[in-house]
Amino acid sequence: MVKKLISIFCASILLSTSLLGGCSKAPDESANSENKTYNIGISQIVEHPALDDARKGIIDALKEEGFVEGENLEIDFQNAQGEMANAQTIADGFAAAKKDMIVAIATPSAQAAFNATKDIPVVFTAVTDPVSAGLVASLDKPGGNVTGSSDAAPMEKQFELIKALVPDVKKLGVIYNTSEANSVVQVDQAKAVAAKLGLEIVEVGITSVNDIDQALNSAIGNIDALYVPTDNTVVSSIPLVANKCIENKIPVISAEDGAVKGGALATEGINYYNLGLQTGKIAAQILKGEKPAAIPVGLLEDTTLVINETTAGKLGITIPEELKSRAEFVK
Amino acid sequence: MAQLLDFSINVLQMGLIFAIMVLGVYITYRILDFPDLSVDGSFVTGAAVASVLLLNGVNPFVACVAAFVAGLGAGFITGFLHVKLGITNLLSGILVMIGLYSINLRIMGKSNLPLFSNETIFSLDVHPLVVIAAFALVSKLLLDFLLSTKLGFLIIGTGDNPDMITSLGIDTGKMKILALMLSNGLVALAGSIMAQYQRFADVGMGTGIVVMGLASIIFGETLFRRVSIMLPTTMALLGSILYRFSIGAALNLGLSPTDLKLVTCVIIVFALSAGNAHRFTGVKRLLKGGLANASIK
Amino acid sequence: MLQLSNLYKTFNKGTVNEINLYRGLSLNVNNGDFITIIGGNGAGKSTLLNLISGKIDPDEGAILLNDSDITHMPEFRKSKLMARVFQDPSKGTCPSMTILENMSLAYNKGKAYGLSMGANKKQVSLFQELLSQIGIGLEDKLHTKVSLLSGGQRQALSLIMSTMTSPELLLLDEHTAALDPKTSEIIINLTEKIVTEKKITTMMVTHNMHHAIRMGNRLLMMQRGRIVVDVHGPEKQDLTQAKLLAMFEKAGCEDAVSDRMLLD
Repeated sequence: MVKKLISIFCASILLSTSLLGGCSKAPDESANSENKTYNIGISQIVEHPALDDARKGIIDALKEEGFVEGENLEIDFQNAQGEMANAQTIADGFAAAKKDMIVAIATPSAQAAFNATKDIPVVFTAVTDPVSAGLVASLDKPGGNVTGSSDAAPMEKQFELIKALVPDVKKLGVIYNTSEANSVVQVDQAKAVAAKLGLEIVEVGITSVNDIDQALNSAIGNIDALYVPTDNTVVSSIPLVANKCIENKIPVISAEDGAVKGGALATEGINYYNLGLQTGKIAAQILKGEKPAAIPVGLLEDTTLVINETTAGKLGITIPEELKSRAEFVK
Repeated sequence: MAQLLDFSINVLQMGLIFAIMVLGVYITYRILDFPDLSVDGSFVTGAAVASVLLLNGVNPFVACVAAFVAGLGAGFITGFLHVKLGITNLLSGILVMIGLYSINLRIMGKSNLPLFSNETIFSLDVHPLVVIAAFALVSKLLLDFLLSTKLGFLIIGTGDNPDMITSLGIDTGKMKILALMLSNGLVALAGSIMAQYQRFADVGMGTGIVVMGLASIIFGETLFRRVSIMLPTTMALLGSILYRFSIGAALNLGLSPTDLKLVTCVIIVFALSAGNAHRFTGVKRLLKGGLANASIK
Repeated sequence: MLQLSNLYKTFNKGTVNEINLYRGLSLNVNNGDFITIIGGNGAGKSTLLNLISGKIDPDEGAILLNDSDITHMPEFRKSKLMARVFQDPSKGTCPSMTILENMSLAYNKGKAYGLSMGANKKQVSLFQELLSQIGIGLEDKLHTKVSLLSGGQRQALSLIMSTMTSPELLLLDEHTAALDPKTSEIIINLTEKIVTEKKITTMMVTHNMHHAIRMGNRLLMMQRGRIVVDVHGPEKQDLTQAKLLAMFEKAGCEDAVSDRMLLD
């Protein structure tokens, strides 16, 4: 009997903790508009350097625009730890707490947020194709309560970079995780861009980090250079990819700069912190009263050329003067 | 207060959707004593089949049934590998999970399918909780009914003492395959409902499903096993709801978000040891002794 | 009704542990026979039952039941025609189910297992009657989970369940060996009662010389895969322990008689 009571007692403690916990982040409605504290929820799908950089950028941009955490801004940051069911729970929680805005980092978190609310503004970042994801009607006129910044890589610039650094390139391998929606979109895009520039794309598909070694082994004989899109799985193993390619004298061009620091040859690409800054500015606009429906989805026009000197040396590549002058070098 | 209600309803909805999956996992892990790892795959298969059908204008309820049938197929393959080809139970499940990954991608055509503008089972004029509860309760009641029939006894017996079932002249291999089919059918059904609830299907949405299922079962059993009139299926259902509550609690307690999984574990450990409170007799005696000594002055 | 013709069986073929157990074993079991089988360890007694029930297949030879060849029939199909009680009391019942549920399962043997109710409420009085025969109070415990019963209680239940639908052949594999002497007597008496009443052809492997001599109409002694002694009829009825031991000596296998057999 005692044990039964203990079980029921503990179950009730558990229930009340979670219910009370669910109440803890309600906005302070009694504040007047001058001293208004904005409550925003940030929903991120998983721990990842690029995504974390984007988040920092958002918070810094909001600060620049006058929304300072701890003063007039309360941030509730929740991480789904890779499980989509959790992304839904997080989004539902934010909606129930009637946050002033939800910031969603990566596609599944953005989709979950859009599902949870059609009223609260949702600002996304690190979503490569918001139209295919069903989040916006079009990039120019989102049309709903969702807008943000896309991390679509400026692929044409990047492929031109490849041609500048590796003039004889004909076959370009693209390595990506087949289950990352963003990556698949980029592969399709790559095929279109490559056709225009006279390159042939060789797809190198993997399902997890464990496949990378073998996949590269079979592909290396067949490609002149390798392109790494913004793919979470591949980027997290960039040292492995870079080393293997350097050994086999295959230049690696990546879509963002983190990979270059990890050993890839070069990128003309996105800096996720800058992407975050751009997203943060959009978020600030909305907090100041603009409607998401009218704010076009931002694309990062501002690209940075980053070249890895050590890798260039190992591959025996001479960097054209024109590129040297505007490049940022890393070792 | 309204926020509290919203939060509770959301957690209840997710808990009941996953409860259908937990019922499936219960059949294989508990009744059949067969660790079926293909569940991560068949959950997505259900979502994939239903989504593709919905995108082609098929009636949502028909899509759910189709998802269930797809799950039956997945379970059959696992059973076939184990019973007819003699592959171990663990490996059979793993092989099917791996295979389903590619199959799911092919079914969906791409890795993420949004369903924001499609008709779903939630397009009716009733609160989604009602729809979900209906699916969950009907699944549970049908399972309870099955387990009380002669066929159900055979399935239970196959997991309990296969030699005895063989001695009745029954092919235990067939029973195993049947149970695996039913289990994966339920899991796929849960997947199809989840896809319609979150309004997108993604090839990665099966990650962590089997762990969720097992944790829910253990949660429910440990807390309620002394409530003798409660059926195991009821415990599994409640376990699922409590598990989602604990995730919600962990998320809302404002602790470092990177520690979500650790915090969930701690909450579960507390709940589980509550069920084993009889082990703390030493502590109890100490407390009693201490208080008794204190009163004698 | 049961014919074993020229059975050959080798274990661990081609290895250091190779055992050529049966080299042309033949046996004829007549309808209504109650055969007790004794022998030392490794004599091949349990293996014989395994061959008959289908747990293992012979390398060569044939097994015929009522003139139909069942040599390579799968175990579950053979089980429809025979019943078996094992030495381990937990092997004959489903521990997580109640006595009523177990007996309902056994009662339905040979019929379809469909979607009708598993627990057979209609036959409760029959089940209680059968259980009261044993005299250990099981008839009042119909809703108890079998895992809560003692070894002796489970074995008694297994015996009742296996004979409920009157099998063609009953195989008893040292079914009292794991029980204490008192319970062992209860089970043996029960065995005798059921077999006599239902006239079931029975083969009983035992280590207990008393039981071997007292029960049944025929006694087999096995040694190293061969039947070395086969007595029936009046010769069996007049058997005493001393006479049996003399027979062993004559057959040239004193070493086959273990201490355990003598002391039981």
